Amino acid sequence: MKLTDFNPRILLSVIILSLGLIIAAVPRNTTTPFKLTAQQILDELKSGTQYLEAELVAKMIVEKDPVLQLIDVRPQSEFEKYSLPGAINIPLDDLLSPEYADLLNQGTMTNVFYANGSTRANEAWMLVRQLGYENNYVLMGGLNYWFETIMNPQAPASTSSDDELARYDFRKGASQALGGGGLVASVADKKEGSAAPPKPKAVGKKKAVKGGCS
Amino acid sequence: MTMETIRKPRNYMNPYLAGVLLGLVVLAANFISGRGLGASGAVKSAIVAGVETVAPKHAAASPFYDSYSKAHEGKPLNNWLVYQMLGVIVGGFVSGVVSRRLTWKVEHNPGIQSRTRLLFALAGGVLFGLGSQLGRGCTSGSALSGMAVLSLGGFISMAAIFGTAFMLAYFFRKLWI
Amino acid sequence: MGPLVINEIISENTNLLLAFFIGIAFGFVLEQGGFSSSRKLAGVFYGYDTVVLKVFFTGAITAMLGLLFFSLFDWVDLSIVYVNETYLWSSVVGGVIMGAGFIMGGYCPGTSFCGAAIGKIDAYVFIAGLFIGIFLFGEAYEWFEPLYLAEFWGSPRISEFFGLSEGVTVLLVILAAVAMFWMGEKAEKMFPRDEY
Repeated sequence: MKLTDFNPRILLSVIILSLGLIIAAVPRNTTTPFKLTAQQILDELKSGTQYLEAELVAKMIVEKDPVLQLIDVRPQSEFEKYSLPGAINIPLDDLLSPEYADLLNQGTMTNVFYANGSTRANEAWMLVRQLGYENNYVLMGGLNYWFETIMNPQAPASTSSDDELARYDFRKGASQALGGGGLVASVADKKEGSAAPPKPKAVGKKKAVKGGCS
Repeated sequence: MTMETIRKPRNYMNPYLAGVLLGLVVLAANFISGRGLGASGAVKSAIVAGVETVAPKHAAASPFYDSYSKAHEGKPLNNWLVYQMLGVIVGGFVSGVVSRRLTWKVEHNPGIQSRTRLLFALAGGVLFGLGSQLGRGCTSGSALSGMAVLSLGGFISMAAIFGTAFMLAYFFRKLWI
Repeated sequence: MGPLVINEIISENTNLLLAFFIGIAFGFVLEQGGFSSSRKLAGVFYGYDTVVLKVFFTGAITAMLGLLFFSLFDWVDLSIVYVNETYLWSSVVGGVIMGAGFIMGGYCPGTSFCGAAIGKIDAYVFIAGLFIGIFLFGEAYEWFEPLYLAEFWGSPRISEFFGLSEGVTVLLVILAAVAMFWMGEKAEKMFPRDEY
């Protein structure tokens, strides 16, 4: 009996049903790591979506935002001298060590890299972005800017706009809440609330191919 | 072999085999380019290019033309779908030659006149063009390619297109049966 | 590995060239399947010829299965393959208008180009209509915009929407299609038309 002797409909039905059963039975392959091209990373760098403003981070710290995870990428010695509240230390040299992979490649927490300036934190961000990891950001301006604006805010001139005055008020409040000046924050052990933490805003979400007809 | 059998168009391919081949084409498009097929998008490209040439100021002022042109770096015709549609015309022509189906004719039900058929073809084209913009793609771009990647929107489009056509079939039966 | 162009295995220009070849295959298959004939296409709505149903669903299922198997073998990264966006109301209204256009015009955009390629004059008229329709939409875009942008749901897959695995979803689609193929062939026997 030849294959063509069968009714084409029955033949096709049998084939697609068997393939359908197989594909329904095997778990989906999720091992493929998503990698970005150099161009995509450059585009993201240009648009600056990786930066989180100091004010926003300060607000998250003050409000004890459960999804915030500060990551200090300076060497351990500097980290021990001073660090932001709740931060953990992953020196840039150790960034690619497998023990941190789960921490950096995840979908729940908002990781914020910081160093003294922006450069080292940016390098860390580019490395993990190259691996396709999501939800990693850079503290804009680094610790230097943090001290200028959040910890020791300068009162704006009385002629300043309401907006600037409001910013100053916020910074002063944040500074007090964070203990002002140079304090060695304890590495608070972060326990996530039992309730599911809110999803972080996808600021720099990866863009898939543009297709479709529109 | 008589003349009659030579001239006669060949039979169409078995629809299930054609379907499998069509699926492989969609698969190839996704594998190579990461996207599905489309048709109305190519017409849109031509429209955007045309409006930009004839009335550049008008095109720049309208978000519809302007955003499309920007998304294609100012060259709306240098577009994946345009090249693909040129291929469709070539492919359809080759198939027509191979299967001896090349004829100039207005295909219609003997119960209606050519003029009626053409009138409704035009109206159908206008509606399809308009609908394809709202639906962000036509039967190929939104329904077929969308379903291939399991897009919810693709399934909605498919159901809406075929569901409506089925519901309206009774009112337009004179055109076809 | 795939999609080739995203992973920079082929260049952007090669991609456009391949688009042309993909188009040739697309047009050839459509014509061979009978999609260049409006009367064959419209047949599905009256039961005398269900070729549209068969080709369309077989095609969609082959592509779905192919993509999932390719992903399983690591040949294609499904997370970067384009998934059509879902704007609920725009999709529904657009689909309804397209459905009306389908039953009146007997073609859809892809098949009309195919019909035009083999000399169907009604297909040329349909294509002229397409140009007018899209132009009208472009001119009246501001009027359509609220509907066009309403209820944006992102790019969900139907499997995510129903909370099923992708494999199970495809299996359900296959079951539905197998049932429809069976009904389609029944309908062809019930409403036969010899010469059209």
